[in-house]
Amino acid sequence: MYKKIVLSSIITAMYLIPANTQFLSDDLRIGGYARNYTGVLTGGGSELSILQNTFNLNFSQRGEKISFKVNPYLYQYFDNEIELGLREAYLDMYFTNFDLRIGRQQIIWGKAEGVFITDIVSPKDLREFLLPDFDEIRMGVTALKLNYYFGMSTIEAVWSPVFTPTLMPEQGSIWRPEMDFPAPAEFDHSLSEIDPSLENSDVFLRYSAMTPGIDFELVGGYFWYDDPALHMEREFDPETMQLSGLTVRPQYHRVSMAGGSFSTPAGPFLLRGEGAYYTGRYFQTEDPSVTGAVVSKDNLHYMAGVDYTLAGVTMSAQFIQEYILDYDRAIRNDEFESTMTFLARKDYFREKLWVELFSYIGLNHGDALVRPKVTYAFTDGFEVLGGANIFLGDKGRFGQYSDNDMVYVKVKYSF
Amino acid sequence: MLIKIMEGFKMKTNNLITGNMNWKDAGLFNAGPKAKLQVVNQIFLMAALMFSLGLLSSQNVSAQLSGQEIMERVYHNPSGDDVEGRLTMTLINRQGERRVRNLQQYKKDYGDVEKKIMFFLSPADVQGTSFMNWSYVDGSDDDQWIYLPALRRVRRISSDGKGDYFMGSDFTYDDLGERHPDEDNHKLTGEETIDGKACWVIESTPKDTDYMYSRTVTWVMKDNYLGLKREFYDDRGRHLKTLTIKDYGHIDGFWTILETEMKNVQRDHTTHMKFSDVKINQGIPDRMFTERNMMLGQ
Repeated sequence: MYKKIVLSSIITAMYLIPANTQFLSDDLRIGGYARNYTGVLTGGGSELSILQNTFNLNFSQRGEKISFKVNPYLYQYFDNEIELGLREAYLDMYFTNFDLRIGRQQIIWGKAEGVFITDIVSPKDLREFLLPDFDEIRMGVTALKLNYYFGMSTIEAVWSPVFTPTLMPEQGSIWRPEMDFPAPAEFDHSLSEIDPSLENSDVFLRYSAMTPGIDFELVGGYFWYDDPALHMEREFDPETMQLSGLTVRPQYHRVSMAGGSFSTPAGPFLLRGEGAYYTGRYFQTEDPSVTGAVVSKDNLHYMAGVDYTLAGVTMSAQFIQEYILDYDRAIRNDEFESTMTFLARKDYFREKLWVELFSYIGLNHGDALVRPKVTYAFTDGFEVLGGANIFLGDKGRFGQYSDNDMVYVKVKYSF
Repeated sequence: MLIKIMEGFKMKTNNLITGNMNWKDAGLFNAGPKAKLQVVNQIFLMAALMFSLGLLSSQNVSAQLSGQEIMERVYHNPSGDDVEGRLTMTLINRQGERRVRNLQQYKKDYGDVEKKIMFFLSPADVQGTSFMNWSYVDGSDDDQWIYLPALRRVRRISSDGKGDYFMGSDFTYDDLGERHPDEDNHKLTGEETIDGKACWVIESTPKDTDYMYSRTVTWVMKDNYLGLKREFYDDRGRHLKTLTIKDYGHIDGFWTILETEMKNVQRDHTTHMKFSDVKINQGIPDRMFTERNMMLGQ
């Protein structure tokens, strides 16, 4: 079904192009990349964690008044499973002071790197946790986007009538998050569907400004939260009155969010900050008196970061924290959850060799994800990347994957 | 990967954008007061180093000029209010292997601020990337932004790093930027003729002892105050690089450098820059230098 939608979208776009050739002055541009991605788990029997061939294409044409872009991709896995999709497929219309973009598109907000705070529009593909490139983690969303420009400011309004949830790892995947249920659980997805409708639309608004000395954004949204709340119904043995089972019903909820971000240079440093206030989020609770085992709480999510370059080494550090307001001790999440990220990166041989170390560190559980990588560009557009993903700790967001340490190679040709 | 690309690009573009070509100051290059003067700036400077013909004709008078005066005349050459053009940069290593980068650039002088934007056209893995730099006459730090297509957003970057190399070339930020003549002591050491062109030879020594070069030697053509050649010496006084003008012309009323070559003699590596489709004072609109345009591409 999805493939049909993809193909029909491409065909539709192709028909649209000739109809507007008077506006499309440039030639059709075709680019993209082909890539092999092979990863091996380092524990035990050196199993393949992934063997993926990727073919990513970009078709675009730009005119004075209108342009379009179609970005189909194809993943082929070692078990010959093929996934075909559209990362983006949209039409742009340009006016004097505003633009309209209609179609499937990636919309990225905020100043944080590697974390999602006010970056709320494009849903995430977490089937391989946070390991893929970020343009592959962020999925396109079907939306109408209006950008209005005045001075150095932009107002961006987004309306999305189609809810797209976070894509989670399938049952059996090594990236499936730990779910610690007190009794055998059965999933009931009957309440997981959000029908496309005007009433179920997501709406987002952003004001942004690029000024001498500082950039900032103010954002807000009323939307379906991309991750489901796990409503649980307990079943008891009538004889022993002991908990005998659970029915888990993933359910999406409306949330409101308001926030902002900034980045500003300070001497040799670049300072970045970002924060968001959410209302209507649901958290799991162990309080037996709570129906459904979830409670609604407001929460804050914020980040402070700094970038610095010393002796050719680009360094970056971020402190990220989530805070649940009006906290109840029965809530399974911590009241404060703190994470740090670090990046160091340097190039050698006139930008032919890149060495990088990036890490997430979970401060609550003392866990971490450490990601060293080396990239060598044999020629322009052709590079080989070798790296490792090392999970430290035994619990927490990163420690739960302590059996998934891996080394990998990516061979990529861009054209 | 996202972060890798972003950070990588930050480093790549740092050099490019903040470089100064120092040709005014040295006779060959227009050096500016801020070492981190934008790469684009420099490139434009190189592409659009111009002088008034009136200045050029006074050979007898100029023969009596001091090194400082010559460098100031080079520095103050008019260059137009806006410049656009295509830059093709070829990196050649000691094995003769070549890597080619193509960029489209725009620059506009607003009096108190100079805005520049460049769009990366090739190679394929950087196509669609854009970089914007605003530099201020009052000496404030430059504002710099980069747009990476994979990130789908414009990101502000630090403008520090004047000694970094631009896109793997033999030009540093500082080489590509404007270096003000007052930053060096200049001495007229003699006169030579290169390829039939009479030149002054000027040795420039930085007042800041921590500067990346211990001295530079510049050959300035007498008939037009264009720098024809410049030698750079490292912090140990050894010959490091030589910059040579290969071609220049009169475009839209301004003398413009069209082709240059920087050779690192210590590493036997060469960067060749060729400027084409250069247009000066054609009225680049203000909307060219906006976030909107960075994301849409040129």
